[in-house]
Amino acid sequence: MNELNEDEEKRLLTEAVKLDATVFGLILGLIIGLIIFIATNWLIIAGGHVGPGGEVIIGPHLELLGQFFIGYKVSFVGSIIGFVYGFAAGSIFGTLISWVYNKIIYLRNTNNK
Amino acid sequence: MLTRKEDKKVIIIGGGPAGLTAAYELNKSGIRSEVFEKDDIVGGISRTVNYKGYRFDIGGHRFFTKVKVVQDMWDEVLRKDFLLRDRLSRIYYRKKFFNYPFEVKNAVFGLGIFNSLLIVLSYLRAQVIPIRPENTFEQWIINRFGYRLYKIFFKTYTEKVWGIPCSEISSEWAAQRIKGLSLFSALKNALLKKPPADKNVIKTLINSFHYPKLGPGMMWEKVREIVEEGLCRVHMNSGIEKIYWHNDAVLAVETCKDRTTTRISGTDFISSMPIRELIAKLEPLPPSEILKAGDKLNYRDFITVSLIIDKKTIFEDNWIYIHDPNVKVGRIQNFKNWSPYMVPDPEKTSLGMEYFCFENDEFWSMSNENLVDLAKNELEKLGFAKKSEIIDGTVVRMPKAYPVYDEEYKKALEQIKEFLGKISNLQLVGRNGMHKYNNQDHSMLTSMLAVKNILGGHFDLWKVNADQDYHEEIKENEQLDKQLSDLSSTQPLIPSAFAMKKSSGSLIEKAIIRVFSRLDKFAFAVAVGTASFLFLFLATIFLEFKGDQNIVQSMLLLNNYFVGYDISIKGAFIGGGYCFLWGFISGWLFAYIRNLSLGFVIYKEKKKLENQSLKDLLDYI
Repeated sequence: MNELNEDEEKRLLTEAVKLDATVFGLILGLIIGLIIFIATNWLIIAGGHVGPGGEVIIGPHLELLGQFFIGYKVSFVGSIIGFVYGFAAGSIFGTLISWVYNKIIYLRNTNNK
Repeated sequence: MLTRKEDKKVIIIGGGPAGLTAAYELNKSGIRSEVFEKDDIVGGISRTVNYKGYRFDIGGHRFFTKVKVVQDMWDEVLRKDFLLRDRLSRIYYRKKFFNYPFEVKNAVFGLGIFNSLLIVLSYLRAQVIPIRPENTFEQWIINRFGYRLYKIFFKTYTEKVWGIPCSEISSEWAAQRIKGLSLFSALKNALLKKPPADKNVIKTLINSFHYPKLGPGMMWEKVREIVEEGLCRVHMNSGIEKIYWHNDAVLAVETCKDRTTTRISGTDFISSMPIRELIAKLEPLPPSEILKAGDKLNYRDFITVSLIIDKKTIFEDNWIYIHDPNVKVGRIQNFKNWSPYMVPDPEKTSLGMEYFCFENDEFWSMSNENLVDLAKNELEKLGFAKKSEIIDGTVVRMPKAYPVYDEEYKKALEQIKEFLGKISNLQLVGRNGMHKYNNQDHSMLTSMLAVKNILGGHFDLWKVNADQDYHEEIKENEQLDKQLSDLSSTQPLIPSAFAMKKSSGSLIEKAIIRVFSRLDKFAFAVAVGTASFLFLFLATIFLEFKGDQNIVQSMLLLNNYFVGYDISIKGAFIGGGYCFLWGFISGWLFAYIRNLSLGFVIYKEKKKLENQSLKDLLDYI
């Protein structure tokens, strides 16, 4: 048992953790998606201000996201669209981070061997 | 090799817990056996001596185990005579009692605020500047408890017990207590330990223990009766004179009783006699280097001076540790607090004054009268009773009570193990039989496994009590077969078994390693930096082609931070470069903080486990 533990302890102390690209991507996607969803709805609940033309302006800066996320607006439906975009972008971002990270770990381990 | 049970006859040397457990298990398995005990009483160091109706335990033996098969045997044999007793054992220092395990409030109250402050400071000093290298027991304890606690609560008592300065005792001996408490096992313990269904269960296990109504000797007397009704014969006053062996097998033993020697043959042999004696009794003698190795195994011996005092109550404890350097007594047992049935008259008290010495040293050679007199004086000096209140006393000498773990024992023991390992039908069990500081339950377990080996098992008895995890593996409420299969970890590792073991526990272990391994800071920093670079680079290129002025103006605000950034191909590279840099720094910091936090969690869990393990350190000195 001890021999096993020693082996595991060695692994615990020396091995670098490997990131699961799918899980990491999903988590980051979920976080970014939720941030957009909550931020959008927060602005809707907080309310906007009346513009010079008498129109109600809500979240003009966040609205700029619509330039990248086509269809996104600061509205409840927009928050759902934003969530989907955010989720997709976050997943890609997370997967990319994991992929690069694991690649470097792999290259390092290969070089060390 | 004989395989039929009926053809087997096992010779067991020694009628202590290990020897009689072997006889008991063999009897249950339908195998004949003969036990040879050199004394006139069974139980070895777990015997109970009866003096004028007052029963004395040699040392004090708590029946406490986490090994269910052992607990089952105790229950099976003792039934209603197995009492559950409260445990109280304190340290007696400067005529004050200190709770053990230590309690802050009690220690501060007993030692005073100034002393307590010094203790805290010396503890902190030891934590900040530990002694390196940690070679001796003294250094080991100081590093964990601080110098002042060591001096008050460990030094005197340890030196009384072992007869050598703490600075000459190897740290390895103490380190055995926390052996196996690896970072990994600490984590596993923290993550996988199920909360007890009832916290009182844990509390009960710590604060109470089982004890036979008439002392531990009652257990072994009963076992003797049971096995003698079956297939076993127990020979008392029958020391083993010679052990005949040939071609890597023991053939027979020669026993001597009433000056008559008898040669008895058997198919299998289990020895619980001290290894040093076993080696010397082999016929033909083993090579001289093995004999020399045997001579290097030393033992600590033990004298109990039992005093009968005309007082109903002296102290409430089962036993107390005497840390006063002005008296020689190391521990005092109060037998009626172990079991009220140990004294015939409840108005009187019987105490066991325990002295540790070496066989044939000056102390050992003292006459019984002088020893009783010394014990009386010391009891009075300690303030427990007046000499005039002590109405009687007797002396019990117990040679080879403790195997000594000195500098030479390990190498010598390895040599002997290697030599005896070639004798296929001889198994060593018990405390002295293995020169291993086993408690009663582990001694019994070695015998149970030895019997399993006779029945075809392949258990490595030397692995019993070798690591901390072992204890934890024997879960309550598990079936015998399951427990024994758990004990397969004590078997020699063979490729297939090793692979099976590896794979069986691999899911959880893999998960722990996966979660708690370090995040490579550089790799994570590069990964976050690269992703950040791509993020801004693509966003900028996208806008460059889209050309919407609203967002361009907003994006250009970035050049307040990223000097030189604009919405252009060149700007995309400049902005991407900045993003890479900041992503790199953030990723590195995240990985660093994550590793530090997890490292702290692991360290905390290990310390917690270590402290739990050291709580009862005195019990194991």
